[in-house]
Amino acid sequence: MTTLYVLDVEDFRPLAEVASKDPDTIVRHRGPYLQIETVGEIRIERDATGCRNAVWYSSVAAVEDGRVSRWNKVELVVEPRDDTP
Amino acid sequence: MSTSERAHVVRGVDHAAFPTFDPRATIRFYRDVLGFPVVHATCALGWGPGDHPDFIHFFFDIGNGDRLAFFYYFGVQPYRDTEIPELIHRARHLAIHVDSEEHLQEYRRRLDASDWPCELQVRHETVESIYVTDPNGHLMEITRPLRAITVEDDIDANVSVDALMDVAGEDEPTLEKFFARKAKLIAERYAGEAELVTFA
Repeated sequence: MTTLYVLDVEDFRPLAEVASKDPDTIVRHRGPYLQIETVGEIRIERDATGCRNAVWYSSVAAVEDGRVSRWNKVELVVEPRDDTP
Repeated sequence: MSTSERAHVVRGVDHAAFPTFDPRATIRFYRDVLGFPVVHATCALGWGPGDHPDFIHFFFDIGNGDRLAFFYYFGVQPYRDTEIPELIHRARHLAIHVDSEEHLQEYRRRLDASDWPCELQVRHETVESIYVTDPNGHLMEITRPLRAITVEDDIDANVSVDALMDVAGEDEPTLEKFFARKAKLIAERYAGEAELVTFA
């Protein structure tokens, strides 16, 4: 499972909310974090989150079984890692 | 004794000190433009080492009892590090705190009316800052909070630093490795049943 963690604070919560609109994506609390999990890639459009620049570019807390393949003004994409065991 | 058992008894900045080769501009900038009161000055005749025996060490109040200090050495040729990379110039700076947007804008007004106008104003993730290079070439920041720092922020900072300790000890540290290591730490530390989150 491709997993993205964001900190569960007001600034970053919109990323989890936007990601959760994909029916294949599951969001869970993991300590102080929101754990966003899906099979395949996680794609979050910045405009949908309403995040301003600095918040957007500091939103990723951690990534498991995946890699950030795009993180620009338009979207954040976390794709599955090919070498995931 | 672990770090957590050590009493944390330090109380902020007593003073941060920098050299100046232009004390007149320094005093104009900090005292006359920014309005930082002069609170102390040590005038040392023959106290310093042989190549710069006479100096003045003067201090400005930067609030909260903290001070910003400068050394001016008489008879010493000005030195300016012109080779310093932009990355180092921007990284090495002093940030002075204000409580509100109104206060930040007040300092911006003071700078913009001077020979040292504000160079940049940025809303970072948790703070908004203005930047100016002081007459000595030191980057100065004045910053105000945009939101309160929460317990979650503190926990995340500690997980980040633990992940950085691990990744920076490896041969080729990358942000990708850092994110992966941090994810493992989160999974280990919060391994219990995770609660499903739904958004209304």
